[in-house]
Amino acid sequence: MLRNALRKDLLLNARHLWGILPWFVWVAYAMSEPDAGRITAVGAGFIGSLMATTIAAREDKLRTSATLASLPVRRRTLVQARYVVACVVGTATYLVVAAMAAVLPWSVQRAAELFEVKTLLLTLTLASMVIALLMPLVIRFGLLGVVVFLGAFQVLGVVLFVAADFFAARSGVRHVFGAVERGIVSLHAGLGQPGPIVETAVIVGISTWLSFRLSVFLAERRDL
Amino acid sequence: MTPEYALELRGVRKTYRGFALKDVSFTVPRGHIGGLIGPNGSGKTTIIKLIMNLIRREAGEIRVFGLDNRKAEVEVKSRIGFVYDVPGFWDDQSLDSQRRALGAFYPRWSDETFYRLAREFALPLDKKYKALSHGAKTKFALAMALSHGADLLIMDEPTAGLDPVFRRELLKRLSALLQDEGKSILFSTHITSDLERVADVITFIRGGDIVFSLTRDELLDGWAVVRGEEQVIRELDPRLLKGMRHGAFGAEALVSDGGAARRVVGSRAVVDRVTLDEVMVLMAGENRHAA
Repeated sequence: MLRNALRKDLLLNARHLWGILPWFVWVAYAMSEPDAGRITAVGAGFIGSLMATTIAAREDKLRTSATLASLPVRRRTLVQARYVVACVVGTATYLVVAAMAAVLPWSVQRAAELFEVKTLLLTLTLASMVIALLMPLVIRFGLLGVVVFLGAFQVLGVVLFVAADFFAARSGVRHVFGAVERGIVSLHAGLGQPGPIVETAVIVGISTWLSFRLSVFLAERRDL
Repeated sequence: MTPEYALELRGVRKTYRGFALKDVSFTVPRGHIGGLIGPNGSGKTTIIKLIMNLIRREAGEIRVFGLDNRKAEVEVKSRIGFVYDVPGFWDDQSLDSQRRALGAFYPRWSDETFYRLAREFALPLDKKYKALSHGAKTKFALAMALSHGADLLIMDEPTAGLDPVFRRELLKRLSALLQDEGKSILFSTHITSDLERVADVITFIRGGDIVFSLTRDELLDGWAVVRGEEQVIRELDPRLLKGMRHGAFGAEALVSDGGAARRVVGSRAVVDRVTLDEVMVLMAGENRHAA
């Protein structure tokens, strides 16, 4: 049944998954930029997962949720398929970008660096976290939920900057963003050693499991 | 043992703000067509959603071919073909790609049946769903519902938006499904003439309550409309009186026993056979007296 649910998601959302293509054009351009190395590939994986997660929200807009819930398949399986598709699309996007770095003649990136296990693991970690965070929202509130969430995030950023300017604490805000960046860099470095790999895998595993349980709980109780 | 009923609802309850479905109970025997009628907002769609487990019931039991619709959800749904009042499919996909994606879920799916129905309904399989008219969308939903060997068809207002020619053809097809293949059908509709043509059991719902669930013959041959002066109608046993309305030339009453009414009013009032339309109007009317 999971196979059918996956097939359904890929067949009926194929056109929208191809919407990732314009991103590849930008990535192809970025390959000529010396500073745009791994972060572009990792970001591509992140964007791929994000897109695949939100594409599922189309079902609410098209009123197909009732049709899906009437098929002989458990809602749990449909939710499971959404997680798998988002993860697969994220990983595939990363691999395509890494391959582009190796193939494009103007690329100044070292493909070997992009194919490093620790970079792939970082992509999987970030992609899993975005899926774990957004999927319950998509399932409970549909497209509107995602738009409101992402919009609220943007507004929060603007408010933070304005507040920081107002209270002359801009360096504090920079420090917060810098800490996020440093965190990602140190996570990337750590993912080359067995200890941090296990720790990260456990954290990602638990977050994804909790997110999945919450999504199933929400999907099964949702009145359509 | 083969269960007697294709569909059984016992004491089903669901509450929304400002509306409640109260202890709904009715059955559709195997190989029969059940019709669900009632005014707008009476709970017809809620009942269908509860059967399909699209919404959660608060109490009661729903069995499809003897199986609980929640515990045996996958098996139950593989035996149901559904058509909703507003069919929900993927706007930007062709009909054929939706067949490929959705047909795979059904163990008894038949491409052959689907293509045959698509030809009969003149469905353009390579066209996107959004390019279809409302009638064609309903036909597509019907083709999907009829292509996986469903034993029970559940349809919410399937004839709304269809032209009279196709409506008649659809009803003929539903009757044929019953006679040739022993299928069972439940459908809700506002178009009562459709039900008069094909339904075996008619269930009337009003304000979340089942008012009656009777066979077509019990209803159309047993019940009657009495037309005359109000004081003559008042002589009838109140237990027989199911609804009444007042007009410029007297009153009209719906009674559950035409023969008994005839004996009481004699020639002082007219006792006519009832139509489903009259049942709807007299029972849902503002001047209803009793149910």
